[in-house]
Amino acid sequence: MAAAAGAGADEEELEPLFDYSRVQPTIAFSFDDTDIEKSDIFVHCNKRRKVADGDGDAKADEGNEADQKAAAGPKVAAVVDLGEEDWLPSPPPKPKSTVRAELENNSLMQELRLQKQAFAKFAESAEDFLEKLAQTAKQKVEARIPPEHIDLDKSPERQVEDAREKVVITVQDKAGQQQFRLYKDEKFEKLFRAYAKKVNLSLADLTFVFDGDKIDPASTLEDLGLEDEDMIEVRHKPR
Amino acid sequence: MSGGIARGRLAEERKAWRKNHPHGFVAKPETMADGTVNLMIWHCTIPGKQGTDWEGGYFPLTLHFSEDYPSKPPKCKFPQGFFHPNVYPSGTVCLSILNEDSGWRPAITVKQILVGIQDLLDQPNPADPAQTDGYHLFIQDPTEYKRRVRLQAKQYPPIV
Repeated sequence: MAAAAGAGADEEELEPLFDYSRVQPTIAFSFDDTDIEKSDIFVHCNKRRKVADGDGDAKADEGNEADQKAAAGPKVAAVVDLGEEDWLPSPPPKPKSTVRAELENNSLMQELRLQKQAFAKFAESAEDFLEKLAQTAKQKVEARIPPEHIDLDKSPERQVEDAREKVVITVQDKAGQQQFRLYKDEKFEKLFRAYAKKVNLSLADLTFVFDGDKIDPASTLEDLGLEDEDMIEVRHKPR
Repeated sequence: MSGGIARGRLAEERKAWRKNHPHGFVAKPETMADGTVNLMIWHCTIPGKQGTDWEGGYFPLTLHFSEDYPSKPPKCKFPQGFFHPNVYPSGTVCLSILNEDSGWRPAITVKQILVGIQDLLDQPNPADPAQTDGYHLFIQDPTEYKRRVRLQAKQYPPIV
């Protein structure tokens, strides 16, 4: 290239008036190509080109016979492939392997890996520890609570006979809601009286309703299947 | 599976209703002759809103739930021939939130349905008529419409 540039520079001084410069490049290029082909740096290219040329020659020479063409084809291909393999893949593996080796050999990386493993083990052990803690805690809680639970479970059954179960019933009127606590086997009459007293109204002016049906004051919560936190309604009869 | 989902949801709805519901409303699943409960049909009562021509009426409404509930809304029916611009002659309520293709969402509760229908009673939607009688009177003769509404409220007095 330097030689071509030099030649161009020499000739430029002589030919400013002509269009010769336009023609020049093509000549220079062809010249350059031959130079490059001959240079040692492009040995591989030359090899390839020679092979390609040989292929062309072989085809031209051997020409008509199909079998020989077929035979020549694979041979050429094989040669080209080998050349490429020799030429291309050889450089890449070295950097790869060296990089890997460096990475593997790198003490820092190794330390980091070891630390990572150590942390992972630590995390696992920590999880195990937490699980164990949770289990022991559960066991402790279970160990403590069961007697209470049993008490709660047993007490209603036992107390139904002597103390009876209490539930909370919400009574809703137009103004709002009020909650009453009463025994499940108690008659509604007591609840009604308590409500009437609270709102300062006569029982005769009140109608208590559950699910759209009037509640018989003589019935009990159990009779109507009322459960804890259920709601009944009261309607104030217009006078 | 869908039936299980529907019944599970309806059991939850009933549970929530028993604990709390708007005053004057009733909503209970149908009880069969043998005492078993059919969660797919609910018998409800909607009270006419205070301060409106509907006040004093306790209007019976039946909710028919399908196996596709709550993906699909229940069919809500007043008695046949119920007087209201947005109620079909069959009694079926025409309301956007009860329309699968319009306003229905699976999250809408039974409580919201009933309160929505109570609102509809006094606020008919003239853009979506479902019966000629109620619609024409509502548009052309407000006085007669009012009279008919009050008359109907008296036809449905509180049961208790």
